[in-house]
Amino acid sequence: MTKEKKLSITIDNRTVEVRPHLTILEAARTHNIYIPSLCAMEHLPSYGACRLCVVEVDGLRGFPTSCTTPVEDGMVIRTDTGEIRTLRQEVLKLLLSEHPASCLFCTEQDECKDYQGTIRKAGVITGCRYCPNDTRCELQQVTERIGLTETSYPVYYRNFPVEKNDPFYDRDYNLCILCGRCVRVCNSVRLNGTLSFKQRGKITTVGPAFDRTHLEAGCEFCGACVTVCPTGALSTKTSKWYGKPDKEVATTCVYCPVGCTLKLQVRKSEVLDVLPDYNSALDHGFICVKGRFAVPEYVHSSFRIPVPQRITPLGYNDISWDEAIAEAAERLAGVKPDSFLMMVSPQLTNEDLFVAQQFARQIIGSDQIGSPLLYDLGADTGPFVNLVSQSSAFDVIDDAEAVLAIGFDSTYDYAPIGIGTKKAAQRGAVLVTINSCDTNLDMLSEMAFTCGTEKWSALVGLLTGASAQGAAPLFPTWKKDIAGIQGIFKKSTRKVIIAGPGLLAAPQRTEIIEKLLKVKEKGGWDIIVAHPYSNLKGMLAMGAFHGIKTGAIINENGQAEGVKGDLSKFDLTKGCTVIYAVGVSDLDSLPDCDYLIYQNALPSESQRRPDLLLPAALFTESSGTVINGEGRILPVNKAVEPYRSAKPDWWILNAIGERIKKGVMKYAQVQSVQKEIAKTIKGFPGVKKRLEFSRIDVKMKTPKGAPKMRKQGQFNYRGIPLEAVVKGMKAIEERIELISGSNRGAI
Amino acid sequence: MNMVRNHVLISIDANTIIAGARAVEDALIKEIARQGLSQEIVVLETGSVGIEDQGVVLVVYPEGIYYTNITPAEVPELVEEHLLKGRVVHRLMLKETPKRFVITKEKTGLMKEQPRIVLKNCGFINPESIDEAIAADGYQAAAKALSSMKPDEIIAEVKHAGLTGRGGAAFPTGLKWEFASKVDNPVKYIVCNADEGEPGTFKDRLILEGDPHKLIESMIIGGYATGATKGFVYIRGEYELSIERLEKAIADARSYGLLGTNIFDSGFDFDITVMKGAGAYVCGEETALIESIEGKRGHPRNKPPYPITAGLWGKPTIVNNVETLSNIPEIILKGAENFKKYGTEKCSGTKVYTILGHVATPGLIETEMGTTLRDIIFEYGGGIKDGKRFKCALVGGAAGAFLGPDMLDVKMDFVNLREYAAALGSGAILVMDEDTDIVDMLKSVLHFFKHESCGHCVPCRLGTARLVELIDRIAASKGTSKDVEGLTRISETMKDTSFCPLGQSLILPVSSSLKYFKDEILARVQ
Ligand SMILES: Cc1cc2nc3c(=O)[nH]c(=O)nc-3n(C[C@H](O)[C@H](O)[C@H](O)COP(=O)(O)O)c2cc1C
Ligand code: SF4
Ligand code: SF4
Repeated sequence: MTKEKKLSITIDNRTVEVRPHLTILEAARTHNIYIPSLCAMEHLPSYGACRLCVVEVDGLRGFPTSCTTPVEDGMVIRTDTGEIRTLRQEVLKLLLSEHPASCLFCTEQDECKDYQGTIRKAGVITGCRYCPNDTRCELQQVTERIGLTETSYPVYYRNFPVEKNDPFYDRDYNLCILCGRCVRVCNSVRLNGTLSFKQRGKITTVGPAFDRTHLEAGCEFCGACVTVCPTGALSTKTSKWYGKPDKEVATTCVYCPVGCTLKLQVRKSEVLDVLPDYNSALDHGFICVKGRFAVPEYVHSSFRIPVPQRITPLGYNDISWDEAIAEAAERLAGVKPDSFLMMVSPQLTNEDLFVAQQFARQIIGSDQIGSPLLYDLGADTGPFVNLVSQSSAFDVIDDAEAVLAIGFDSTYDYAPIGIGTKKAAQRGAVLVTINSCDTNLDMLSEMAFTCGTEKWSALVGLLTGASAQGAAPLFPTWKKDIAGIQGIFKKSTRKVIIAGPGLLAAPQRTEIIEKLLKVKEKGGWDIIVAHPYSNLKGMLAMGAFHGIKTGAIINENGQAEGVKGDLSKFDLTKGCTVIYAVGVSDLDSLPDCDYLIYQNALPSESQRRPDLLLPAALFTESSGTVINGEGRILPVNKAVEPYRSAKPDWWILNAIGERIKKGVMKYAQVQSVQKEIAKTIKGFPGVKKRLEFSRIDVKMKTPKGAPKMRKQGQFNYRGIPLEAVVKGMKAIEERIELISGSNRGAI
Repeated sequence: MNMVRNHVLISIDANTIIAGARAVEDALIKEIARQGLSQEIVVLETGSVGIEDQGVVLVVYPEGIYYTNITPAEVPELVEEHLLKGRVVHRLMLKETPKRFVITKEKTGLMKEQPRIVLKNCGFINPESIDEAIAADGYQAAAKALSSMKPDEIIAEVKHAGLTGRGGAAFPTGLKWEFASKVDNPVKYIVCNADEGEPGTFKDRLILEGDPHKLIESMIIGGYATGATKGFVYIRGEYELSIERLEKAIADARSYGLLGTNIFDSGFDFDITVMKGAGAYVCGEETALIESIEGKRGHPRNKPPYPITAGLWGKPTIVNNVETLSNIPEIILKGAENFKKYGTEKCSGTKVYTILGHVATPGLIETEMGTTLRDIIFEYGGGIKDGKRFKCALVGGAAGAFLGPDMLDVKMDFVNLREYAAALGSGAILVMDEDTDIVDMLKSVLHFFKHESCGHCVPCRLGTARLVELIDRIAASKGTSKDVEGLTRISETMKDTSFCPLGQSLILPVSSSLKYFKDEILARVQ
């Protein structure tokens, strides 16, 4: 790539070098020269609405806005003359003439600042009831910088009713300054299109067309609009009155295998809010509703298990960790390996999973390590994990010519993959969807095949050319369409299949998976698997899986032949002596046992009552790593102390293990666990490149006791449905139900 | 709830106010009450409905019947016949004949002959007959251009003729075409701006209704010269007759092979689509117009990029006004030198004006660039009505300036007027006699701007809202001298900081009215 020549410009008598193609505003910002602005924002197309960023440029007439004027070599710019200052003040006065500006000129302003740090809204003290006062108000900052202390107009209150009917965020358009950031981010960044301007002139407002609610208009509740709002017009329901966070912790979302970066907004021991990271190379800040809005209410749920508890005939009794560890160790010591079952959640961190498998194998001497996948997928678990281990990097979408999305909808999850797909379609890639209901990608697709899941296998075979056996007669009306798509696919070279969670609800899922693997090998397709088992790759890599040893599946030099496994002897009905469930909460499906240990953050919704409850820390409360769907090791960073007595999963496992068999684990901190893992995965956890996984060749029969097809279909984390603890998720689940009917699919 | 049977829209804007719209409105409300229809008939005020030359205009919905030139005397009959008995009053209904509105020598007994370039055929040929158009030299220029001239020769000729845009900005047309022709892109568009939203202006409508083939011919030549093979005419939606005539003309031209493929055997393909506007003034601004054609909200775009580099669907796009384009055939046929015989040194050719208000003969004239306001009012317009004295004229539409008696002898063209902080704009001339209330006029202008501000940028959206509050207070004699200062301060801020020329140009009517009538305005405040 040739390096572009820098331009030399003079801003306020300072000559500086800048990259070409910047606007004056961007150039000034890179050199820390302040120009006030309310509508311009990085990553959004320029808009030129607030007019506060006017400057003077030699040779240009009048006062061009710096956010819309590109720099040119030799430009001479003045950003702060007397005339400019007056103009900015006049424009700002007009702007404030319809924005409740009490807080900006209020005599209590200083006092208000003092209270911004408290948990209660400042308004309780000062009597102000206008805005969330979360110190993110850019209007306050700009007013201060422009130096406006009074205004010549009476403030006109527009008296719009505050809109509170949608989940997660409220909208008070009395505070809106029509900067258009939300409209632009929704349309140009999220490619969603829920928001637009309504009416004209002074009565212009923002919202979905035809006065629908956001939910009805197809809003993803990604919260991008809330994030970019410079005033308090859009505010998060749960955090709006909480004031200013005192630190920000970047971490990785564990709700799905994309692994978006989340910027946790922390105040004392609480995660108040979560913001996206627009500079993240992985997700570009395209987080979904789960990452944006479903973290604080989950991790600070009032139902959290506070301390270890033991069952008694009269209910649960609180006990100390010491007692809990002693009791668990006592019940586990001497258990026969095949009378033990370790159940782990694929949403744990690598460190937790590693210690869990070590516990089973080295402390108990048992390879009986299971996970909810076995219940969800039964005999199809093997082919499915094989498909996952062969999946490609997400960025294959960026230059794809053709995309086939099967059972995939990115409205409420997998947003970065969904937006990548939309972008591909917008720049001309051919997008084809297969689903049993409408999806959010259909609008941009060349063809949307909507049909029952039982026909998917045949359709996939036809379209990809994997096999046409007896399939054609199934689709008499689509004959032409199918032929057309076949032709396009045949001609394209860069092709991507997105296998969505809907795939898991298709009766012939194994057949479909086999076809996908076949065209991956022979037809040049890349495959991205969007599934709900967040750290499944981590679970496989750590060997927290029956028959797969730690690191065995990491394909170091491309020579590994593949891992052979045999799940056929795995019996999920056989009674046990002890079952240890870590982050797994469907207890009713587990086999009978004498003693059940339940290690999780929230109580299970099952009928069955465990004998011992061990309070686990959540991903905001302990550090570790996960491996995302494309094989990258991503950091999970502790932001707050664990709730009450809760402890990280690895810590609990280590403590019990040490009590049973001294000297096997001895982990004092998470780094010592990582050191142990690094013995099999070189460089762990600092490896930057994608880990290559080898094929898994698992001989499988449905493990005994696993249902053939289990419908669950909710978003959950560690076995707990998000909607059970996060209020707004209920509305989302109902919406999905409404759109997809009963066809939502497993998991 | 009552069942509302009819809505009667009464158009209230600067020029209908002069024509007595308020009196008609009062009479209408009284008469409706007298006949006991108040529960069933709703009277609503609306802005301009696009018919500017026919006095007070009423529109009755749901029938969609337009009544024009209504005075209070006709109101009882109208209410009884139409609103009570449901019988349309044909005598008062809108009937179009451009001939009626073009001021001719015969009509006024004028001394001066008008040069006719744009309006040459208007009123003289049957606009619905392509044969009559052809008999009157129609499509000859296109034939000449396509069969014997190279694109750059055409552009050179237009440049040499010194034709400037008649849509308001007066940009040299030849130059615009030259830029566009040099942009390397296989797809280009030429768009004719027939949105004509400026109150008091209806010249483009009459040009289109009187001679639609001239516009088609001009666009063929423009397309050939610049490399655009697809044309759009963006017409104000209210101009139903124009749309109808233009669509017929396009269909006829197609059937004669004048549109379509291989026109005049030149290998050049060209066709035209008519797009209807939805009545927003800002959609006359070329980039907002482009957004609107694309089916988006009518917000102006950032410039640069200008439409000639990235316009409609991102392709190079030439936007020209109806009148501008209608000059092209004459230039091609008779040459640039001939064209330059008309007008002034800096602005050659003619200008079409609409003269309205308190003049004896309101209507449409075409006259050389550089004609004085005095000539226009007193020669062509027949002087001030009822022998009253001239007070001022609002020249250039709502975004124009009030010109007082000292401006009567200034030569008017695009360049010269700028020196007097005025603008020729769309060529609307609204004449006011000595009895006109200037505050009322300014009020209607400011209300117009508030109504038409698109809402995109802060100074215009909120500036117009605050201006209206100030002028309403002043008009109600409740204002103070500070309010009068406020008018200037806000419109100056708008001039310097608004996003598009709509907000930027409001300073013209405000500062010019204060220049001439400050005392009269101050007399209204405490
Ligand atoms: C608010 C506003 C309204 C306008 N309305 C019109 C209009 O109705 N008709 C028109 O031809 N030009 C109108 N213009 C000017 C156009 O932007 C553009 O300059 C013109 O169409 C170019 O054509 P010309 O070069 O032939 O004049 C308007 C401009 C503004 C800022
Ligand atoms: S939450 Fe996301 S999808 Fe919904 S309106 Fe805001 S930006 Fe658009
Ligand atoms: S000046 Fe601003 S608000 Fe007014 S019409 Fe232009 S862009 Fe819209």
